[in-house]
Amino acid sequence: METATVGSEVPRTDGMAKVKGLAVYGDDIVMKDMLYGVCRYADIAAGRIDTLDLSEAEKVPGVVRIATWQDIPGEKQIGVVIPDYPPIVDREIAFRGDVVAVVAAESYEAACLAAEKIKISYTPWTPITSVQEAISPGARLIHSDRDNNIINHHHTVKGDIEAGFAASTHIFEREYSVGFQEHAYIEPESITTCYDDNEQIMTVYGSIQNAHRVRGFVAKYLGLPQSKVNVRRSILGGSFGGKDDIIDHLACRSALMTWLTSRPVKMTYNREQSMRESYKRHPYIMKYKIGLDDEARIQAMKIDVLADGGSYAGQTVFVTWRSSVQAAGPYNIPNVRVDVTGVYTNNNYTSAYRGFGAPQVIFANESLIDEVADALGLSPVELRRRNALRQGDTSMAGQVFTEHTVSALEVLEKATSSAEFEEKRQYYARLNAQGGPLRYGIGLALSHRGCSLGAEGLDASSALIQINADASVNISTSVSENGQGLQTTMSMIAAEAFGIGLENVMFSEPDTAMIADGGSTVASRGTLMGGQAILSAANKLKRRMAQAISEKLAVENEEDLVWENGKVFNRRHPYNRLSFQEVANMTRATGANLSAYGWHVAPSIHWDEEKGTGSPYFTWVYGCQIADIIVDTRTGKISINHATAAHDVGKVINKVGFEGQVSGGIAQGMVGYGMLEEFNIEHGEVKSENFDTYLLPTIKDIPPITIIPVENHDKAGPFGAKVLGEPVLELGAAALNNAVSFAMGKRNYALPLTLEQVKLGHPLKKPVRQSELLAESAEKKQVLRLNTLALTRARSLEEALFLLREDPQRRVIAGGTDVLVQARLNVAPVPLVDISGIKALKTITSQPDGNIRIGSGVCFSDLTSHELIAPHYPLLVTACNTIGSLQLRNRATVGGNIVNAAPCADSVPPLIIYDAQVELQRHGAAPRSMPLSDFITGGYKTQLEPGELLTAILLPPPQRHPGLQQRYLQLGRRNALNITRQSFTGQFVVNESGLLTFCRIVDGALFSHPQRLIALEKCLTGRQLNAALIQEGATLLKQMLEEAIGKRWSAPYKVPAGVEMFTQLLEEVLANKSR
Amino acid sequence: MHRIELKVNGIHVHHDVGDNQRLIDFLRDDLRLTGTKEGCSVGECGACTVIVDGKAVCSCLLLAAQCDGAEIVTVEALRHDKVGQRLQAAFVRHGGVQCGFCTPGVLMSAKALLDSTPQPTDAQINDALEGNLCRCTGYAPIIKSIKAVLKPA
Repeated sequence: METATVGSEVPRTDGMAKVKGLAVYGDDIVMKDMLYGVCRYADIAAGRIDTLDLSEAEKVPGVVRIATWQDIPGEKQIGVVIPDYPPIVDREIAFRGDVVAVVAAESYEAACLAAEKIKISYTPWTPITSVQEAISPGARLIHSDRDNNIINHHHTVKGDIEAGFAASTHIFEREYSVGFQEHAYIEPESITTCYDDNEQIMTVYGSIQNAHRVRGFVAKYLGLPQSKVNVRRSILGGSFGGKDDIIDHLACRSALMTWLTSRPVKMTYNREQSMRESYKRHPYIMKYKIGLDDEARIQAMKIDVLADGGSYAGQTVFVTWRSSVQAAGPYNIPNVRVDVTGVYTNNNYTSAYRGFGAPQVIFANESLIDEVADALGLSPVELRRRNALRQGDTSMAGQVFTEHTVSALEVLEKATSSAEFEEKRQYYARLNAQGGPLRYGIGLALSHRGCSLGAEGLDASSALIQINADASVNISTSVSENGQGLQTTMSMIAAEAFGIGLENVMFSEPDTAMIADGGSTVASRGTLMGGQAILSAANKLKRRMAQAISEKLAVENEEDLVWENGKVFNRRHPYNRLSFQEVANMTRATGANLSAYGWHVAPSIHWDEEKGTGSPYFTWVYGCQIADIIVDTRTGKISINHATAAHDVGKVINKVGFEGQVSGGIAQGMVGYGMLEEFNIEHGEVKSENFDTYLLPTIKDIPPITIIPVENHDKAGPFGAKVLGEPVLELGAAALNNAVSFAMGKRNYALPLTLEQVKLGHPLKKPVRQSELLAESAEKKQVLRLNTLALTRARSLEEALFLLREDPQRRVIAGGTDVLVQARLNVAPVPLVDISGIKALKTITSQPDGNIRIGSGVCFSDLTSHELIAPHYPLLVTACNTIGSLQLRNRATVGGNIVNAAPCADSVPPLIIYDAQVELQRHGAAPRSMPLSDFITGGYKTQLEPGELLTAILLPPPQRHPGLQQRYLQLGRRNALNITRQSFTGQFVVNESGLLTFCRIVDGALFSHPQRLIALEKCLTGRQLNAALIQEGATLLKQMLEEAIGKRWSAPYKVPAGVEMFTQLLEEVLANKSR
Repeated sequence: MHRIELKVNGIHVHHDVGDNQRLIDFLRDDLRLTGTKEGCSVGECGACTVIVDGKAVCSCLLLAAQCDGAEIVTVEALRHDKVGQRLQAAFVRHGGVQCGFCTPGVLMSAKALLDSTPQPTDAQINDALEGNLCRCTGYAPIIKSIKAVLKPA
């Protein structure tokens, strides 16, 4: 179909407000007389509340109301499928994110303080944190009112599974596992509720993915009719399926506080609250069994999945259903049996997340297919080619694929030929056969995905269009803008339908009071279902307009009308044209209604839950992604060099939006889910509470991507378009795993592919006892924030020294990048002296004695670019440029880095190598100085005395040995924003006869604090640098490490990786000796 | 309380700020400049990036009291300068903005870069943006948007 607007590249219609900083997100709302709401969370992950004492909390000035279970006027438990979630709990605690009470106060700080003063005593239970434990006989019930810990079970049956295995000559059984994934929308949750001044009905604003769902739950919770609750979404700062259930619960709490106080209430989470309470992607344990015949045709596939649903059911029932009908992949398999069981535990509950039960099973299935291909001596492409679904085949779930174009082979061929998959694979195999620490890999994954909701329930959507007197057009849909570009897409579809310019169409976000529930903006259904609803309304209007102009244009058949370029004409008489404005005027003159309501119901589908067979989705998409990578076997670090993504989307509506979705999907799926994102929860206690421990991909972690759109027109979608958002995320991790497994020559069965997972084949986690966690949580604030600072600003060095002497408890703040992060955790007062305004501490000068004097208040970006430093101290520059991010280096000071004395402090190793001295001053006393290597005495320990300030770092002139090699090797999990896992900083001279005449080596984050490894230096210095000497050094280092850190939990990784990094360092010195 | 005197988006401001008040709180709560966003509060996400004395910094890791005498530029000022306008238009056209929550921070990092380095290399663009997490775009559209405002080499 020829299209004018659809398929082009247009700027986002809602973009300008966002780039101007004017778009109003949830937390940007401020209302007159507004209160601030804060949740009081449970202190334990499992147990029963014995007593709840609000008395101290109620005394906090500014507290207006504290609500508990008793205060809820309506239904006390809600849920998308099973109503088991109490937005405020009664007595039972099922996870650490349970809310016991909600405080509303005049200020945020008062609400936080009060939350901390609510005293709760518990009878704690040992949290159940594994699905196997939860389903074992006699396991404690997570919810005492249920019979067992099973949330649900789905099965899919095709053919005769036993006969299938009997007919197979090759049978493989493997087990795969994946952990949680956090949505990590950059905007934390926010809800504001009020009584609308004019209508006096409960009105809910905020970061809401599904407005009608929120309305339904708030109405139930307060016992109100839905007509008395109106939801007005704010601009949404990312969701990815994540601002669904949790926002329902938060909206209920906030609305309750408004109900109880008759005042507007705002509740905004910080990142820690968000990570602690929000649901995640389900961890799966997946047992796969596959049988093939001698022609490598799959005869049978048996799959058993246990899904960790966590503390509440959330959307586990739907998520696991999608898994159950897709788990065997886009292959023609005569005999299939899939069983998926959702299980309650005391972990964070799990629910919708972009991909919705697909990324887990695609990882397992596609990893297995790759391994089987290998075992049968076939290329991964060939095995898939033999088995992929073709037009008219019957899918694993029993659906005959005749109603859409089955393009599994097409995406496979397009992706593999673009990536030169087979050629590269052979080339990499030859490279890898030569040995060496770097191994090359290329891997692919192929997937199919059912579009929209499928047999989850009614699948229908709504839209409103009105044509104004000036022929401009307003549109609204019930599916909503979540940042994905829906407003633009809907506007383009409307513009295309009327043949007018995009600038004539305006999308407005409708309140729930203004439009019927058209289902959630989930399941990648926005374009497909919302677009069809827009077309439904547009077609009604076009029919009315056609009638009005039929005489003028001599229209016999409406189909003959052409709507393009703002004109309407009869293709049989193309010279007689009316402008869209004229058409609108003529229609209005007839008395016809120029506004219309669109309603689209998806084509019918059916699923027999009892038999486990049917047609789960009305249409399907296909995708193939390829990862081209290098693995450094010394450290397990993966570098993704290139990614390829071929996706059949039916029709690309907006090219910019299409590419943005693919690129974002690869970042979240291949890079994030595949190798970086590890949500760490121990005994139910969330350990990854913020982005310093839950690592998202940075700009430096994303490979170049070749994006290949495949367009097979689909009769079920607007202009042939299908879906995109989830398909682009769900298969990247599988492709990456296949690439890594190929590179390592060793299969991997778990995600994410962290350094440890790749190097050791299993993850490494710090073991924590539950008792330690309890002790820790008792000292923790309810809301991490700055509230205990007492700041004094020093205008001069003299004043700063005086202030420090006056009260030796005072700590120093300069850049603040460590102090403020730590102070958020502090319960006790933090008296601070601010030295950031003291110019004398911010200079770098050359001293008469040849030393360089660096003021302790110099920030890293000034340090590394300074003319006295940059050309002369390359190790210092290189190491300091790896600290945090540019924003942090623009504030963080070299003095602060030293005094903080973290084992991973990046400036310290090079400063030690350059023989830096530190200058310490105290009020009324002579300055003292000492070598930096003496100053730092251990992890976070220095010789700084109370009242003393580190004022400068003195650097001797750089070493001028001829042939000096200066090397820095650093390992971080990401390519930016790292906390250094370990590093080596070294200086070496190899003379003409190959003797290592000068050698200094300083470690970072290996031993307790960075230090010159004197024993190692002695062993190496003065000797012939060759492989044997490097080996000798490595053996010595290994001994040293085993002695120092061998008993630590991290030793199984740190020791070998440290030794191999050292080897690499020396090998590089050896290789460069002649230069 | 600390009395501070500073310039925000070209306007002189006198204000009293509390000991625990961060620059982001001062901008959002006191000046109602809500374009600057808070994503993590610990300097990891960069959504709160503003320009202080010519440098991109995280406004969540800087106390308002420490900004006495500083010159601060936030996303709201972008539309008043040429580089800012071109960045805004390019981000809208080339998909550098999706949900838009990281966008103010990304734009401020980009502006600080282009102010000091009008023709940055790819590596310099990456260095300037390494502290801005974006969960939607996968970054490629952001890089494309920034490159679109550079003069052809």
